This record gives sequence, structure tokens and C-alpha cells, in this order.
Amino acid sequence: MNFENVINFIFIFYLVIAVTVKPCYVREEASPALAFEKDAFQLTVEDVYDISYVIGRDLLKISSTGEEVSDLQFRIVRVLEMFETLVNKYNLSLEELKMERDNLKSELDRIIKESSTGQGTQTAGPNQLVVDLKDPNRPRFTMQELKEVLQERNQLKAQLMVAQEELQLYKSGILPQAEPAMVEVDLEPPPSADHIPATTDEVKEEKTAISKLFSFRRKRE
Amino acid sequence: MAKKTYDLLFKLLLIGDSGVGKTCVLFRFSDDAFNTTFISTIGIDFKIKTVELQGKKIKLQIWDTAGQERFHTITTSYYRGAMGIMLVYDITNAKSFENISKWLRNIDEHANEDVERMLLGNKCDMEDKRVVPKAKGEQIAREHGIRFFETSAKANINIEKAFLTLAEDILRKTPVKEPNSENVDISSGGGVTGWKSKCCS
Repeated sequence: MNFENVINFIFIFYLVIAVTVKPCYVREEASPALAFEKDAFQLTVEDVYDISYVIGRDLLKISSTGEEVSDLQFRIVRVLEMFETLVNKYNLSLEELKMERDNLKSELDRIIKESSTGQGTQTAGPNQLVVDLKDPNRPRFTMQELKEVLQERNQLKAQLMVAQEELQLYKSGILPQAEPAMVEVDLEPPPSADHIPATTDEVKEEKTAISKLFSFRRKRE
Repeated sequence: MAKKTYDLLFKLLLIGDSGVGKTCVLFRFSDDAFNTTFISTIGIDFKIKTVELQGKKIKLQIWDTAGQERFHTITTSYYRGAMGIMLVYDITNAKSFENISKWLRNIDEHANEDVERMLLGNKCDMEDKRVVPKAKGEQIAREHGIRFFETSAKANINIEKAFLTLAEDILRKTPVKEPNSENVDISSGGGVTGWKSKCCS
């Protein structure tokens, strides 16, 4: 068959070229024609040279049969040159991007490591405070909230003092006991700062409003 | 409402750097006690002590402020109502003395113009650690025309004297509300007491 002859010819031609002109292919034990099967994004400049080589070989074959292909030859060479440039550029850009990615990765790792070991104080600005969200004692309330709580605390403290004073006066009999209910209150010891809840026995004995209040307080405590 | 158990109510204010002993000074005066553990005051607190001056029962409501800068906005809002302000520094802490001018500026900015001021150099029991000479305290007080005492809450030195003197100074400026025969005696007595306290300070 003529076809078989052609295949044999190509094979022999390839072997001759590979051994004499491009010994590297023998070393790699790969056919330059494999470059055609590769994914476009996997192509290297070497693959482009392989493709050029195969196309050049085929062109040689055609011209040897007597056909006029020189115009086509020049165009193909031009396309292959463009192809070479594009693949080269693509691979260089890819390499650059990979390097940049690796640099950023190591930079990120370094920052994460630093912030976990050094409590991240270096990442805060001059007028900023780093708050550890896991810290149960972290600041959580605003100055306004604290102000309101303190105001209320101080108001209650003042009211307690007034109440204590009045109670002391009633107890000592300086002030008249206007209502009968007040007599019952008098039965309770005056609540001083360190003696607020009455003892259990006292509360049981006196069924007054105050004693009920105190027993209620004890239940809640 | 019960009858008033006092004749006059004076509102006093304690200011000064954190840790100079404002709370201890007040605790010594109100409860005659002293505690060595340092608990920083949160924002603002107060204590009440009723004293008798020139036959008048005077209820002193004494506001104790946090010295820490972070409570500044809370504490300065209490300057306005104060009739007397005690500025406390620590004789063993130079920085607290240097900050006196800052505290005086705060008074100028936030307190009433006619507020009675007083300077206290606290911790005078710690002579071995003293870094502010008494003369320096006296000098700065003289420059600003205010009274000065060196005090010790721990050793109970000049604490009551300081509070009573400040109360007397305020009492002397307090206009008599109900004119009656007694008031003549009281005001004249106040004058004498005021002169005495000035003489002693």
C-alpha cells in the first residue's frame, strides 16, 4: 500500500531527524507528535517546537511530491511564531502569578502566626484597643451605660440612707408613729449596712410586711 | 417624709490622680477606718457624714471620683454640683504632684466659679518614700490661693481637720436663709472659727 509506505517513510525520517538534529527527543523517549494531543494550557515552548518540527516534516513531504506550497509554508511559519510567542508569554505570566501567590501565602501564614502568639497588639493603631472576644472580662459596655448604672446606684444608696435615718428616728421615738402599720415595722431591727436580713426566728415570729419582704428576699438569694 | 435631720447640705468632691488615696481619705473620715488593699474606684461613689459646726448640723455628701483618665467624662459631670473640692496628691508620687495643674484646670473648666478648693498631700506617714517636699505643696497652694494640708488616711493625720476646715469655709460663704435672732450669734461665731482655722492651717 502506498499509505503504508508513507507511514514507514515518516517513521524513518523522524528517526533520522530525531537522532541527528534533535537528540533530546530520544532521551525523553517521547514523540514530538504527542504535542498535538496536549491540553492547550499545558503547552510549553518545547511543545511548540515539536509541533513546528512535525509540521515542517509534513510540509517537506508534500513539497517532495512536487506541489507548490512555499506560500503556505511561510504562513504556517508565521502562525507558529505567533504561537510560540503566545505560549511563552502565557507560561511566563503563569509563573509570575504562581510566585506572587506563594509569596502572599507565606506572608499570610506569617501574619496569622504573629497575631496568635503576640496577641496582635502590633496590628492595632495608636488610638485603638484590641479586644479579645474570648475574654470574659473584655470591655462590653459604653461609658453612657456605666454612667447611668452609677447614677442609679448612687440614687438608691441615697434613698437607703434616708430610709435608714428615718427608721432610726422612728425607732428612737423622736418621730410620732402616725399609722398602726408603722408599729409593726418598728418590731424589726433597723437594717444597718452589715445587718440587712433578719434572722430566721425573728422573721417567723413577726408576720409583718417587712418580715414577708425579708423571707421573699431570702428565697431569691 | 420625715423631718430634716440636718440644717445644711454641703456637697464636696474629691479629685486627683489614681492611687493617691482619695477613697482612703474619705473612708477614714466617714467610717474612721483604713484598708490597705487598693481597689480602683469605678467612676463615682459617695459617702455621707453629718458634722456639727457652729451649732448647725451639716450633712456632708462627699463624692469620691475615679482618678483614672478613662472615667474622665463621668467624673467631670459631678464638678458642677460641688461646693467644695479636695484635690489630693501623693507625697511619694511626683507625677501626682505634677498633675495638680491639670486638675486645677479641670476645676476651672467644669466646676462653679465660687467653689472652695483645698489641696491635700496624702500619705505623709511614708516619710522614707517622700519625693514631694512639704514646702512645694505649700508653695503651689499659696500660688493658687487655696488651703493646704498634708494628710495620712493610714495614720489618721489631718483628715478630719481638712474636711471640717473645708466645711467651715463653705459655711462662712453660705447666705443665712431665715433671719432670726440666732443668726447673729451664728454668723459672728462663724467669723471667729474661720479666723482660727486660717490661723491653724
